[in-house]
Amino acid sequence: MALRTAALQRALRDYGFAAACVVLSTLGAQLVQPYGHLADLAMIHLLGIVFLSLRSSVRTSLVASVVSIFSFDFFFIAPRYALAWSDAESVVTFVAMVVVAAVVSKLSENLRRQEQAARAVAARTQALYELNVELSSSRDAAQLAAVTARHLTKLFGVPVTVLLQTPEGTLQPAQTARDRSLSQSAWLRREFVKQHAPSGTAIWTPVLGAHSALGAVGLKPLLPFEQDSEQGVLLSACVNQLATALERVQLAGAVRRTQLEAEGERLRSSLLSAVSHDLKTPLATMIAAGAALIGRTGEIEPKAADEILRSVVNEGERLSRLIHNLLSVTRLESTHVELRRTPESVDDIVLSALGRFNDRSRKTPIVSEIDPDLPLISAEPVLLEQVLVNLLENATRYAGSESAIAVYARAADGSVLVQVEDNGPGIAEHEREKVFEKFYRGQAAPKSDGGVGLGLTICRSIIRAHGGKIGVRERAGGGTLVEFTVPFAAAREQLSREASLDS
Amino acid sequence: MNRSLLLVVEDDPEMRSVVSFTLRNYGYDVREAATGAEALSQIQTRTPDAMVLDLGLPDIDGFVVTACVRQEHEFPIIVLSARGEEQHQVRALDSGANDYVTKPFREGELMARIRAALRRPVPVAERRDLNVGDLRIDSTQRRVFVRGKEVTLTRTEFDLLDTLARNADRVVTHRQILRAVWGAEHVDEVHYLRVYIKLLRTKIEVDPARPTRILTTLGVGYRLVSSEVLS
Repeated sequence: MALRTAALQRALRDYGFAAACVVLSTLGAQLVQPYGHLADLAMIHLLGIVFLSLRSSVRTSLVASVVSIFSFDFFFIAPRYALAWSDAESVVTFVAMVVVAAVVSKLSENLRRQEQAARAVAARTQALYELNVELSSSRDAAQLAAVTARHLTKLFGVPVTVLLQTPEGTLQPAQTARDRSLSQSAWLRREFVKQHAPSGTAIWTPVLGAHSALGAVGLKPLLPFEQDSEQGVLLSACVNQLATALERVQLAGAVRRTQLEAEGERLRSSLLSAVSHDLKTPLATMIAAGAALIGRTGEIEPKAADEILRSVVNEGERLSRLIHNLLSVTRLESTHVELRRTPESVDDIVLSALGRFNDRSRKTPIVSEIDPDLPLISAEPVLLEQVLVNLLENATRYAGSESAIAVYARAADGSVLVQVEDNGPGIAEHEREKVFEKFYRGQAAPKSDGGVGLGLTICRSIIRAHGGKIGVRERAGGGTLVEFTVPFAAAREQLSREASLDS
Repeated sequence: MNRSLLLVVEDDPEMRSVVSFTLRNYGYDVREAATGAEALSQIQTRTPDAMVLDLGLPDIDGFVVTACVRQEHEFPIIVLSARGEEQHQVRALDSGANDYVTKPFREGELMARIRAALRRPVPVAERRDLNVGDLRIDSTQRRVFVRGKEVTLTRTEFDLLDTLARNADRVVTHRQILRAVWGAEHVDEVHYLRVYIKLLRTKIEVDPARPTRILTTLGVGYRLVSSEVLS
């Protein structure tokens, strides 16, 4: 309906313009008539026709040229004011006018078509370029589908549906963040109504990859168009780009999965080789010690028996620590670590770590200085305690039981900065990054102390999960300084005494 | 001396025999159960003075056992659980356990918890004056004395100390404290607790930077110690 009105309006405008040209050229000829030759008057009419033909369709130009001939004949050729002519010369003029009208209008129409085509090509190139840029910065299939849908909607001015092939082989609407809030069935129903509404037909274009169908793009254009029309070509070009992008994403996913699997495999094998020895040794000691006591409790001196039993307990504790570390690594290295965070005060964590560390083999006490006015941090406290215990264990192990170990905590740039330092041999500069890697043990590490090179790895995983940083430096005056940060809790989790309901 | 009867509920036979052996060595009467169902039926036959309960039982969840027992009995329950499972400890305490010990544990730790749990024949909540180590708390007058010297506490500080003192030597979870001091609608506002524990420590600790009276159990709660148990 609307379209027909538009066409009618265009035709009316066209013919109105033609009529104006004819009337104007006749009036112009009328003005010139007293001074000019009949040929000049013909020229004026011809000018009007040429002018019109430059802008109108061939049909309009031909009709106008015929009208112009009649008006020329009627007003200027003797006998005037009658549709008749007396000489052959006039006939030539008439024919020339029609031919000129036909040729000029045809030429200008061709020119206009070419220009239109060039403009369409430019627009298509631009549209495809924009789509391409956005597609290549998208990371997953749903995002690609959303980007394509948005671009096609802009190009065609109608809603566009992008369906993606699921691994099970069915077509599913690409779930974008906004769509996820709708239940899927409601979404499908809405799409169904949109696509199968009585008026208009939806065009479904398959998204074809190199080996399989990847999905389908559906839209209901305002005017139906053919596949090889300008719009059809644009649509299929866009869909092809989507196909390429989808394949790229799928490939990247496959590569990443393979990498992860390989990584996991490597971790498992290095875990096994590193751990099997360390798991077996304490067990062997415990079994041997226990067996040595069976049936001989009377014969062995109580002091010697105690010695043996103490080694059972020590080895057991070593084994327990090792297993705890392994479990921590497994939990922390899995992709989604959900921290159970609560507002915590730093001094509680440090004191608790010092209390738990409490190594009887230490000869000098550990110094600690904690800024009493530190804001609360949002943390899983037991994990941070684990970090400190690991650092204290390292310090004792490498710097010796008589070394000076100190723990400092103070505010630094929106975080708490915790430093653990010792005056031991320190860590060589080229090792300061490596010590955080799994199963890496420093050059100075004793061979059989029960360590497997996981302590600092666990520390780094924990600190990163809390949004902080950890690093190793040289302590001023020699020794190792390990420091880490943990961001303070949000302001609403801080509480000043004044803000509370107290009396 | 009247020997206390302890019920040890643990599915692992080795662990069960070690715990029982240790407890007998300290002069307790010990009965054993390998499953939750067995434990509940033993309690039916003879109510123990305290129960040592492993959380990971094959049949009934340890939390459920605790909740079942608490419907009829008041005797102390000490829970055994693995380290790094603070949320289980909190859950056990919130569902009625009196204390917990993490595995692997040293015998001294287990004995200290059991002694503390058994030490309250009359409900502390009904006493007027509380004496915890060198602290004396006068609940009616709301006055607190540290080694004979009175300290002034705000209302919230007093309620906090009072709550801890009524449960002296056992861990009180964050939720339990918050519910008792601030009310049920504030059980998740752990930051209140952090601030007030700090304020309280500055008033009753000898060295607030190294507290020896109010001890923190990370991820679980706080424990007010009557120094004797700690040693």
